[in-house]
Amino acid sequence: MKRQTTIFLLLLPFLAVTGIVLVSIWNVLVQSLGYIPAFGLTKPTLDYYIQVFSRADFLSAVWVSVRIALWSAVFSVCLGVLLAMALIKCRKTRGGMLYAVRLPILVPHAVVAVFVIQILSQTGLAARFAHALGFLEDYSAFPQLLFTPSYLGTILAYLWKEIPFVAYFVLAFMSSISDTLGEAAENLGASSLRSFWEVTLPLSVPVISRAGLIIFIFAFGGYELPLLLGSTLPKALSVQTYLVYMSPDLLQRPLAMAMNGVVLLLSAGMALAYSMVIYRLNRKVGGVK
Amino acid sequence: MKKNLLMKAVLAVTLFCIFLPMGVVLLWSITERWPWPGLLPESYSLRTVKELLFGSAKLPQLLCSSIFLALTVALLGTAIGILTARATELYHFPGKKLVHLASFLPLLVPGTVFAMGIQITLIRLGLSDTISGVVIVHLIAAVPYCITIMTDVTRAVGDKLEQQAMVLGADPLRAFFQVTVPSLLPGILSSMSMGFILSYSQYFTTLMVGGGRIKTIALVLVPYIQSGDRALSAVYSVAFVGSALAVFFVFETVIHVYQKRGESR
Repeated sequence: MKRQTTIFLLLLPFLAVTGIVLVSIWNVLVQSLGYIPAFGLTKPTLDYYIQVFSRADFLSAVWVSVRIALWSAVFSVCLGVLLAMALIKCRKTRGGMLYAVRLPILVPHAVVAVFVIQILSQTGLAARFAHALGFLEDYSAFPQLLFTPSYLGTILAYLWKEIPFVAYFVLAFMSSISDTLGEAAENLGASSLRSFWEVTLPLSVPVISRAGLIIFIFAFGGYELPLLLGSTLPKALSVQTYLVYMSPDLLQRPLAMAMNGVVLLLSAGMALAYSMVIYRLNRKVGGVK
Repeated sequence: MKKNLLMKAVLAVTLFCIFLPMGVVLLWSITERWPWPGLLPESYSLRTVKELLFGSAKLPQLLCSSIFLALTVALLGTAIGILTARATELYHFPGKKLVHLASFLPLLVPGTVFAMGIQITLIRLGLSDTISGVVIVHLIAAVPYCITIMTDVTRAVGDKLEQQAMVLGADPLRAFFQVTVPSLLPGILSSMSMGFILSYSQYFTTLMVGGGRIKTIALVLVPYIQSGDRALSAVYSVAFVGSALAVFFVFETVIHVYQKRGESR
């Protein structure tokens, strides 16, 4: 009995935190079904979801956010793994180099937006260098990279922060695999590239895909970067949703919550896809044993 | 050999991409005029910096309150991390897997969705527009990382030494604080760093739950970026990153001093 009490007490703060998240999810779902007694809405209905999907601005916002999240996740995973590999091969898995790689993780997103503007805007440093080297006459000739519907600036800002994040996230695991099983493969005659490709990388898939999942969901729901570096139209999903949420017309509230509900469903879908990958992988590795 | 050269090039490009923007922002923060198409500023001045430090903007106070808020979140998050890790690593109970899964839950709910969902509950509880409300929502963002870090360290440290201390007559609390906490310390500090930075860089949740009444440096910086004021946003950015680095420096020094002391014993 006493042991059970101890376990319960140890878990109590964690349960409180989980409870708060569940309450929030519950609120989103209930309000998205149009149940907000305070506003005189008491009849649950799926109307708001139907309405949301018939809105062009919502559909384009979903598309914008999915694209931002997908590109950010794919490129930061690929380049982050490359960076981790470079750190391992050059034996720089601790010390100064690692501190440098950790720096972007510590820089807040809003500051990264400042970086991107100062370097990639039409009068930014990149354009100035292009001018100095004689590639362009005037700043208006520099391609518009920021504030465009392509959301390139937003994606680049995410990459600046998330590539080092992926490298840092997978480094410990990958370097332990590389130092043991990878070395073994090389001793048995595999080339360094082959031992990476056929031993270290496949075994690191769980931790790599977890990093990818975290980034996808974060970039999918991220607010500051699309707000500061994106176009006015189409907006990213989070920006669009907040706009509807803050609308003075309180009857828009369930609509905003339906949009949030779609975000939750998509995030849950991604998490499910991730766990299926892991499950299949575990079975495969188990089969090898 | 050729491959290592390639890998070295990857590292060099990485360093360049990391430090170039930082240098540019540093330069912008002391720039008076930097017209197109100059590669370097035309004239420098410390006017903006001075005005923010000593003027009506009260940057030092803003930094102190933001740091205080973030440290509170870091401390609470780490405490939750330690307790949860002890439960899952040192005890056996049904539903342990569920706890592991649930600890990732906040990562699966985007911050914007979470903030809009929890607001009505916080209003009902009278926590909206208060520091406590902001601490709670920041904590949700920090806890998954704190738990992951503390779980790894707790698994490595175990409780054998703590048991020994208790066998030798120490009461459980003393055994925990004098035997286990010191070995957990590196993990505790890296969990604090993560919690600190997650709270320090929150924007949306602070805006939503703080209702504009709770001001942090992230909240003040964003409007300057939106208005396109490069000099002011540069100074705020430098202050933002600089103060975060200062806090990390303190954390790292604590670990370093502690490990030195451990060696000399």
